[in-house]
Amino acid sequence: MSSMIEASTVKPAATQLDWSLWLRQIRAILRIEVKKNFWGKRALLLYLFAAIPVVLMFLLAIVDPNGSADIRNKWPNAQEAFGNIYEGLILRTMVFFGCAWIFMNLFRGEVVDKSLHYYFLCSLRREVLVAGKYFSGLLASVVLFTLTTAGSLFFLYYARGYPANVDYLFDGPGMGQVLTYLGITILACLGYGAVFLVIGLFFRNPIIPALLVYGWEWLNFLLPPVLKKISIIHYLHTLSPIPLNEGPLATVVEATSPWISVPSLIVFTALVLFLASIRIRGVSHPSNH
Amino acid sequence: MAVYEHSYKPYEGTLTSAWSRFLVIPRYAYQDLFKYKLFIALFVLCYVYPLISTVIIYLHHNANALAVLDITVSDILPINATFFYVLVSVQTSLAFVFTVIIGPVLVSRDLANNALPLYLCRPFSRFEYIVSKMLVLLILLSMFTWVPGLLLFFFQSYLEGGGWMADNLWIAGAIFTVSIAWLVILALLAMAFSAWIKWRTAASAALFAIFIIPTPIGFIIEELFNTNMGHMLNLGVAFSALSSHLFQLDWLDAKLSFFEAWGVFAAYALICVFMLSRRVHAYEVVS
Amino acid sequence: MHSNIEHRTSQIIFGDVSKFYGEILGVNRVSLAIAPGITSLVGPNGSGKTTLMNLMTGLIQPTRGRISILGISPDNPQELFSKVGYCGQFDSFPKGMTGYEFVKSFLRVHGYSNKVADEKTWRAIERVDLIEAAHRKVAGYSKGMRQRIRLAQSIAHDPVVMILDEPLNGLDPMARAETIRLFRQLAKEGLHLIVSSHILHEVNVMSDRVVLINNGYILAEGGVTGVREEMEEHPMQIMIRCDLPQDLAARIFASDSVVEAQLHRDKQGLFIRTRNAEAFYLLLNRIVVESGMNIEAVAPVDDDLNAVYQYLIGSNGGGQA
Repeated sequence: MSSMIEASTVKPAATQLDWSLWLRQIRAILRIEVKKNFWGKRALLLYLFAAIPVVLMFLLAIVDPNGSADIRNKWPNAQEAFGNIYEGLILRTMVFFGCAWIFMNLFRGEVVDKSLHYYFLCSLRREVLVAGKYFSGLLASVVLFTLTTAGSLFFLYYARGYPANVDYLFDGPGMGQVLTYLGITILACLGYGAVFLVIGLFFRNPIIPALLVYGWEWLNFLLPPVLKKISIIHYLHTLSPIPLNEGPLATVVEATSPWISVPSLIVFTALVLFLASIRIRGVSHPSNH
Repeated sequence: MAVYEHSYKPYEGTLTSAWSRFLVIPRYAYQDLFKYKLFIALFVLCYVYPLISTVIIYLHHNANALAVLDITVSDILPINATFFYVLVSVQTSLAFVFTVIIGPVLVSRDLANNALPLYLCRPFSRFEYIVSKMLVLLILLSMFTWVPGLLLFFFQSYLEGGGWMADNLWIAGAIFTVSIAWLVILALLAMAFSAWIKWRTAASAALFAIFIIPTPIGFIIEELFNTNMGHMLNLGVAFSALSSHLFQLDWLDAKLSFFEAWGVFAAYALICVFMLSRRVHAYEVVS
Repeated sequence: MHSNIEHRTSQIIFGDVSKFYGEILGVNRVSLAIAPGITSLVGPNGSGKTTLMNLMTGLIQPTRGRISILGISPDNPQELFSKVGYCGQFDSFPKGMTGYEFVKSFLRVHGYSNKVADEKTWRAIERVDLIEAAHRKVAGYSKGMRQRIRLAQSIAHDPVVMILDEPLNGLDPMARAETIRLFRQLAKEGLHLIVSSHILHEVNVMSDRVVLINNGYILAEGGVTGVREEMEEHPMQIMIRCDLPQDLAARIFASDSVVEAQLHRDKQGLFIRTRNAEAFYLLLNRIVVESGMNIEAVAPVDDDLNAVYQYLIGSNGGGQA
C-alpha cells in the first residue's frame, strides 16, 4: 500500500434537487419524531401543561355558576378576560414554554440520548433533517396548542349559551375571532419553534438564551418602538382580536398591519431555519459534545 | 490436585463510622466543586450583601464612624425585621442560582453512569443516599443564607445590648425558619428533577419553570374566580407569605395564609419525595 | 488516467489526514488506501481507531487532509451513506422502538418506500439472527442483541462499505463465530469492511489486512504476514521438532539470516530466530535432504497479529490484548 496517497478526486456534492426524495425523507423523520416524542409517556406532562387553560375555562364556564352567568350577562367583559387569558397564559406562557420544550429537545435531546448519529448516518441531506425535525415539532405544537386555544374558546362560547353563541359565531364577528386566535397560535408555534430549534442547535446549554428570549418577549411592552419590532410577541399582539392591556408603562406603538405581520413572521422563520441549516452542517458526532 | 495461593487480603483498616458515613458524599462533592475558580468566585460573591449588612449594622452603632462619614443614623437603613427580611430574600435568591448550577447533576450523573447500585450495595441505604445528596446543597447554601443571617442578628444584639436580643428573638426564628424551609424545598426539587431528567439543562429549565409558570396561572385564576387558590401552586408566593407572617411585615402582600404557605411547601416536598422514591433504587426496571 | 480514477473510486483514501480535538491529537498525518475486503484497525484504547472511523463517515471533520470514500467526500452525506453503513460503539438507541422499527424507520429516512424498507428490514434482521426478537423493544434486549440489531441497521440498506466499531463486543462465542462468518461472506461479495477490534486472534482469523495504530499514528498496514516480515528488528521465531537438533543447530548457522538457535529442554527440537523466514525454509529443506534427519514439526511461533501487536505497540500501548 502506498504511504503518500492523494485524495483529490473527490466527487462534488450532488447538485440536483430531488424534491420527491426529500419529501419522503421528511415524512419518515416526522413519523419517527412524532412517535418518539409525542406518543410516549414523556409527552404526558406536555399534554397536562397544554390542558391548563382549557381546564380553567371549563371550571369557569361549567363548574362555577357565577362564572357562566358573568359570561352570559357581561359578554364584552368576558371577551376581554379571554383576551387576557389567551395572551397572558396561552400565548406567552403555554405556547412559549411548550415550544421551548418541544423544539429545543429535537436536537439537544438526541445529543443527550446519543442517538442523533443514526440520522447523520442516513443518506440524508442535513438541511432535510432540519426541515423534518422542524416540521415534526411544528406538527406537535400546532396540534397541541390549537387544541388548547380551540378548547378554551369552546368553553367560552358554550357558557354564553345557545342561540347567542351561534348568532355571534356565524352572523357576527365570532368566527373571525376564533380563526384569528387559531391563526395567531399557529404563527406563534412557527416563530417560537424556529427560534428554539436554532437555540438548541447553537447552545450546549440553551437555558440562558431561552430565558433571555423570555425576558425580551415579556418586557416587550416597555421597549422603544424600534426594538419592539424585533420580537415575535409584538406581531402576535397586534394581530390579537382583543389585545392584552399592557398597562400604563407600555410604550404606545402604531399597530402593524396583518399584511406585514404575517409575512414578516414567515420570512423571519425561514431565515432562522436557514441559519439552522448552516449550523447543522458543522454539528459533529454526539461524543464530541 | 490444585494449589491455591491465598494472596488476597481484605481491607483491615478502620472504617468510617456508620453514623457519619452519609457525610462522605458531601465531602467529595465539595472537593469537586471548589476545584472551579468560577464557582469559588460565585461563592465569594454571595458574601457581598452580608458584608454590606455588617457595615450598616456597624455604622448604626459607631458614632465616630458616622461623624467621620458625615452621615446621621436616620440616613442609613433601620435594623429591624425588614432589614433581615431583605437579607434573607437576597441570599435565598442566590441559593436558587446555586441550586440551578449544582442541583441538576446530583442524582442524574449517578443514574446515567449506573452508579446507584455501587452506592447501595455498600452499607448505605436509600435514605442515607438521599440525605447525603441533599446535604451537599443544604450545607453549602446554609453557609450564605441563615448562618450569616443569624451571625448578623447576634452582631446586632451584641452592639445594641439592653435586651434587644430578647425582644427580637422572633426575628432570629424567622431568619432560620424561612431560610431552612426554602433550602429544603430547593434541595428536594433539585434532587427530584435530577432523578427524573437526565439532561442537566432540562433539569435546570424545570427548576426555573416551576417558579415562573405558576405565576401567570395564579393571577389568571385570581382574575377569573376571585380566589387565591391559584397561588397555591406558586412557591415564590408561598415564600413571600411565610416571610410576611414570620417577619411580621404587613407591607408584604401575603396572598396566602400562614398555614396555606406551609401547606404549599409540604405538598411540593411530598411530591418530590415520591418522585425520588420512584427513581432511587439499586436496580433498573426495563419493560 | 481512466484506470487511475477507477482505482480511486474503488478505494477508501486518506490523504495526509490529521484530526486534533483542541490541543489533543486524534490522528496525525494518516495516508492510507483501503481496498475491498476486511481491513481491521488494531490499536489500544484511545489510539485513534474510532476517530479514523468517524472521519470516514463525516461525523467529524478532519483538521487537515482529504478523505475519499469510493470517490465520495464525507461532507456529502446523501451520496456517502447510500454506499456506507456504520455500526458505531455507542450503546444508545432512539427511545421506545422495537428492533424492527429501529431498522425500518431509518431505512425510510434513507428514502426507501414502505414495501422495500420492510423487505430490507427483515433480510437484515434475519442476517443477524434476531427474527424472534424483532418486535420486542430494544430497551429490553441483552447487550449482544443490541449489538446485533445495530449491525442489522448498518447493513440493511446494502452498503458497499461497512464501518464497524468493535462489532464483536458483547457477543457470545456462537454469535461471534456467526458474525465473523457474515463478515467473510460480505467481503467475498466485494464489500469493504473496516473493523476495529481488540480481540486479536479473531482479527487474525478474519482480516485480509490490518492497520496498526497507536497514539494517533499509523504504525503498520498490510497483510499480517507481510507486516511481520517487514519487522526486521524482530527476527521471526520458528519452532522445529526433530531427532538431531544439535546437528541442525550447527548447520543452520550457514545461513546469515539466522541470528539465534536455542535447544529445547527435552533436546528434541530447536527454537530459531531468523531475519529471513523464506531463506531459512529453503535452507531447512536442503539440510533435511542432505542429512536425512527426521523432522516432526516446523511451526512459526510469532508470525501472527498478537506478536505483531506486542512488538509494535507492546505493553506501552495500554491495550487490552
